[in-house]
Amino acid sequence: MITRSVGPNRGRNDLIWNAVAWVVLLLLALPAFWIIMTAFRPNVEINTFPPVWIPRRLTLEAYANMFGLNPEVQQRVAVEAYLRNSLLASGLSTVVAVSLGTLAGYAFARFRFRFHTPLFLGIMLSRAVPGVALSLPLFLLFNRVGLVNNVLGLALVYVAVNIPFTAWLMDGFFRQIPKELTESAYIDGCGHWSAFWRIELPLSLPGLATAAIFAFLAAWNEFQIVSVLARNNAAKTFPPGLFAFTEQFTVDWRGMAAMSVIMMAPAVIFVILVQRNLVSGLTFGAVKG
Amino acid sequence: MLRKLCLIVLALALISVFAVSAQDEPQYAGLDQDLSGITIKMANIGGGQYEAMYESISIFEEATGATVEIVALLDGFSMDQKLKVDFATGAADYDVAWDHTSFVAQYTPFLLPLQDYFSDDELAPFSPAILDAATIDGNLYLIPRHADISPIHYRADLYSDEAIAAAYMDATGEALTPPTNLEQIDRQARFFVENGHSTLGYTLAGKEEALTGRFYEMHFASGGSLFDENYEPTFNDEIGVAVAELLAGWYADGIIPSDTTSLLWDGVAQYFCNNDVAIKLEWYGWYAYFQDADSCAVAGNFGLARGFTGLSIGGDAVRPSGWAGAHAFSVPATAPNPEAGVQLIKFLASERVAYEEAALGFLPTRGDVWDRVIADASGAENPLDRERLELARIQVGEDFKTPPLIAEWIPFSNIFYPHLQAVILGDVSAQDGLDAAAAETREMMADAGYYD
Amino acid sequence: MATDSNAPTDKAPAQTRFIEVSRIEAGFFPFAMISPAVILILLVVGFPLLYSLYVSFTPYELLKPNSLNFTTARALRNYQKLLNDEVFWRSLWNTIVFLAVTVNLSYALSMALSQLLARVTAGQSLLRTLLMVPMMFAPILVGMQFRWFFNANVGLVNNFLISVGLIQEQGQIAWLVDVPLGMISIMIASIWMNIPVLTIILLAGTLSLPAETFEAAEVDGASGWQKFRFITFPLLAPFSYIALTIMSLDIARAFDIVRIMTDGGPARRTEMLWTYITRLAIEDTKFGLGSAMSWITVSLSVLFTLYFFRQLVKARIVR
Repeated sequence: MITRSVGPNRGRNDLIWNAVAWVVLLLLALPAFWIIMTAFRPNVEINTFPPVWIPRRLTLEAYANMFGLNPEVQQRVAVEAYLRNSLLASGLSTVVAVSLGTLAGYAFARFRFRFHTPLFLGIMLSRAVPGVALSLPLFLLFNRVGLVNNVLGLALVYVAVNIPFTAWLMDGFFRQIPKELTESAYIDGCGHWSAFWRIELPLSLPGLATAAIFAFLAAWNEFQIVSVLARNNAAKTFPPGLFAFTEQFTVDWRGMAAMSVIMMAPAVIFVILVQRNLVSGLTFGAVKG
Repeated sequence: MLRKLCLIVLALALISVFAVSAQDEPQYAGLDQDLSGITIKMANIGGGQYEAMYESISIFEEATGATVEIVALLDGFSMDQKLKVDFATGAADYDVAWDHTSFVAQYTPFLLPLQDYFSDDELAPFSPAILDAATIDGNLYLIPRHADISPIHYRADLYSDEAIAAAYMDATGEALTPPTNLEQIDRQARFFVENGHSTLGYTLAGKEEALTGRFYEMHFASGGSLFDENYEPTFNDEIGVAVAELLAGWYADGIIPSDTTSLLWDGVAQYFCNNDVAIKLEWYGWYAYFQDADSCAVAGNFGLARGFTGLSIGGDAVRPSGWAGAHAFSVPATAPNPEAGVQLIKFLASERVAYEEAALGFLPTRGDVWDRVIADASGAENPLDRERLELARIQVGEDFKTPPLIAEWIPFSNIFYPHLQAVILGDVSAQDGLDAAAAETREMMADAGYYD
Repeated sequence: MATDSNAPTDKAPAQTRFIEVSRIEAGFFPFAMISPAVILILLVVGFPLLYSLYVSFTPYELLKPNSLNFTTARALRNYQKLLNDEVFWRSLWNTIVFLAVTVNLSYALSMALSQLLARVTAGQSLLRTLLMVPMMFAPILVGMQFRWFFNANVGLVNNFLISVGLIQEQGQIAWLVDVPLGMISIMIASIWMNIPVLTIILLAGTLSLPAETFEAAEVDGASGWQKFRFITFPLLAPFSYIALTIMSLDIARAFDIVRIMTDGGPARRTEMLWTYITRLAIEDTKFGLGSAMSWITVSLSVLFTLYFFRQLVKARIVR
């Protein structure tokens, strides 16, 4: 653990540090408060001058409008479609990417083989390709095989995009597992596969969870590729869906904020559920604690 | 015999009375075919204001037996991008596509010419100026739905205050009346800002096609044109430079907002809504928003005037501004059910649907609908409601002017507007900025084969 | 893999035990484990990239299907065009400045924040949840929020400055317009988005450092800064490289922010490679030219990431 300052000033110092930390982090979190407040404000409080800092009244109008519960407004924003597509593309791609990435990560961590480093680097570098550069040729090629405007096509891309990070995380995680364990597995007569499947994989579950969350969120929040590949609501996910609130001349900021809150929900759940895991998952193998 | 004649006359009179009363109701069209079992796909732009149209679609579905499926709802620019990509890849599997007079030229190879599907009688009610803009190389590619054009909006309180008027007279030697030309706007806007009567003198959208269009309009009104007959860029002539310098001067002196170059339509409208702007050219479409006292401080405090004429540097060629556009429908060449698509368009552009849309504040494109909405507005509480429509009818009829009908309008705009922004922000001189834009435009047009 | 034996001495102080992995020879088994991942990446990333390399040598425009044909005479035309294109160089320069500043500042601020958090005695867990708030935002949402914050007319920042009397109502600051405020606004948004992951990693690293070292230093009378400079900072090296590598992999996400906040404008003041590609390829449908620029961008991104990876591999002992 880190040392604490010693001496008569210690109490006062601690108080100052705590206060500074709280102020800084509350500022950091401010945009989240703001987006939530915007979602539940009456529309007249948006874009006014002088600004209304704290909503005078809370309302669910934005959600009523969005889900078609307001008889005056016909539902035009396809939240259900975005939700379905987002869940499908992110969910599917996460399962496949984490499976394939874990296999690859294990191989890199445990085995010696030809082209070990070039292969590892090659996989990693594929992640460095910016989405905007990838989206153009993918659009042309997918168009020929009918994968444009298709959630499965989107999921396929997200698998490829997410494998490298997963492989890297899992490589680090498997290194953390003492090699004696594996060696004893071999002594017990296990093959490579069952050593992996029966002994090492269960031990790496925290890493697996971290990898899955990162993969899921990366797909969930991705915009550059889906904005080119999805042509309409059959394949649109939340990020391009946010633009449905942009009309010919105006932007429905409140509606956008309301959908953003829905869009942020999985991230909030994950972060709260796995806060502790996230830390150990990300620092895998840098240091043996 | 006489008796018989009387009866006939009476009968004829009765028939005509019925006919007149029947005609007095706006009529639907396009409901005369059985389209049972057909699904018509439509790609359209979205927005709360389009509800009336979507509601009327169910009437079409009931009468014809067709099912209408809306496959896309986007804003205009996203729709433009979608259409381009879908056309290029043959993915435009819908029967009706949103279209716009400013964009239609780039789609023409991928659209169905419509003149054979519409009789002269069916086309007669539509504004000839708009149909002209929709006709390229003799082919009619779109049927207009509603149009928009910009009048001058001005803050009424500034023009009714005698003290301000007297001070203006002292300062400039002319009476303070709503402006009619750009130089007047310049004088008045500066006067209002310098004397603290208004936070801002003028506003305009400052990026993307919105900026290109506003420049085009000022240049046009001053007698200029963006291209000559050989499509050589001519916007860097002395008129163009004068317009660009006017804008740069306004920016430097705080006449227009400091964030002008990041403003689109909603941003500029916001400034006017807040009562912060003395004068601006603005689309008719914002009227209901500006008159809504719950959201706008300017409600009840503004007047309208015909679009300005340009800078006097243009001499005799100076004319009223009139950048205009009409939202419209087209049928893609790849439509699976083009006839059914045409029927839906006939319905959606019919007098009745157009009238219902016009009731929401959109400017009609049909003469018969104009008559109706102006008559309706005669009884309105606010006299501006009627004045607005009469003014709009004049502007749509006489000043309607699309940007050059070239497929490269948007690529041109993408080259042009960053250079104009640089001029406005003071990064380069007006001449240098426009020259650079002209050189780049020329290269783009050469690549596109204009000078071969 | 070959040994990399020069690493431990300069990167790893004695107190930290790096994991030593001895790898097993296993014939084709590892290839079988890796091949699904590799095949998929080749299919979805490798092949499209090669295809875009081909397209980059053609004058292809999306709305002119016939323009997708390769002729030797015109093969390098797109690249020549770009090299002579002032806007391209400007966007390249902006991108480099943006990356350099964002990466360094994100790292420095996260380092400071992690040291601050390590001293906190009350409410650690709540604070960490607050710290993770930016992770909940999609980059595109970050862009939208910050564009609104920095809006000159109705934005939070100017309104706050007016309320506290720092600026006048007439003197609204055009955050997204002025030089260099436009770039700075975008950088602030990106840095905000980068902070959580970096800070979490550096905080975990800091908390795992052995206390004895600091005690010894205190006996020697070292100041707080000296302790950080000569003990904490070097000991955190492996964590730093993990953090920087993650950031370098994700840096292109900043594109969404730029696109939403300024879209490269005004007057190309914030134009970057990503926004310029989008404008050329998607808006003007010039896929050939856009692909050429994509390839230049890909090469730069790969070099950038490669640099961090080499550092990372050095920091981890692999035997």
